[in-house]
Amino acid sequence: MGEKDHEHAASYNYSRFDDYVAGGGDLADEAAFRESPPAGQRAGDFTLQRLDDGAQVTLSGLWRSKPLVMEFGSFT
Amino acid sequence: MFVYTREAHPGENVPWHDSFGGKLACARLLRDEAGIRRDILVDDIAGTVHRGYGLMPNMTWVIDRGGRVVYKADWTSAANVEAFLVRFLAGRGRRPAGTAAVMYETQQIEFRHADRNRFTEHLLRNGPRAAAEFEKAQELWARRSAT
Repeated sequence: MGEKDHEHAASYNYSRFDDYVAGGGDLADEAAFRESPPAGQRAGDFTLQRLDDGAQVTLSGLWRSKPLVMEFGSFT
Repeated sequence: MFVYTREAHPGENVPWHDSFGGKLACARLLRDEAGIRRDILVDDIAGTVHRGYGLMPNMTWVIDRGGRVVYKADWTSAANVEAFLVRFLAGRGRRPAGTAAVMYETQQIEFRHADRNRFTEHLLRNGPRAAAEFEKAQELWARRSAT
């Protein structure tokens, strides 16, 4: 990871929620959702790591033959 | 399946991610404490997938076979998703004469169970500062809505 990637990751993974809100991060997230692909358009295809076995899983492989429900979230 | 993103309310016990290894550890905590049995796919440290789908902390998307978005909500309601899937799959399966696929948007207000004590307990599980920071964020939201 280069220095720029580190900065990118650090701004995404905020350490303090109140500072994130004070900086308008929550509003920017709402705007990002509004600008995300609308229903009817193609979804973005990405590869992620499966937690249980470390396998690299590509989204298009999961939606190839049946609908895919994707819930996003975290522990906190 | 479940896409594991960044921590929304990090604290002393469940920290923000500064490495992919740390992110995996928090994802395991989610799996084991919340008892998630679906596959959990872990986004990268920069949130590439999360950014691609709109950055909200607890959203749900449904992608039809072939890769077309057919449902997106910036907050997860299992009942809404289930009702949508029942209608969508029934409609797509039959496709009676005279029907067409159309897209429309919905915004709605719901009355959800709001147990503030339980939510605060959860924040404290993340660490005391997570609860304190949420209190401060609430003050910021109140100031925002007053202006």
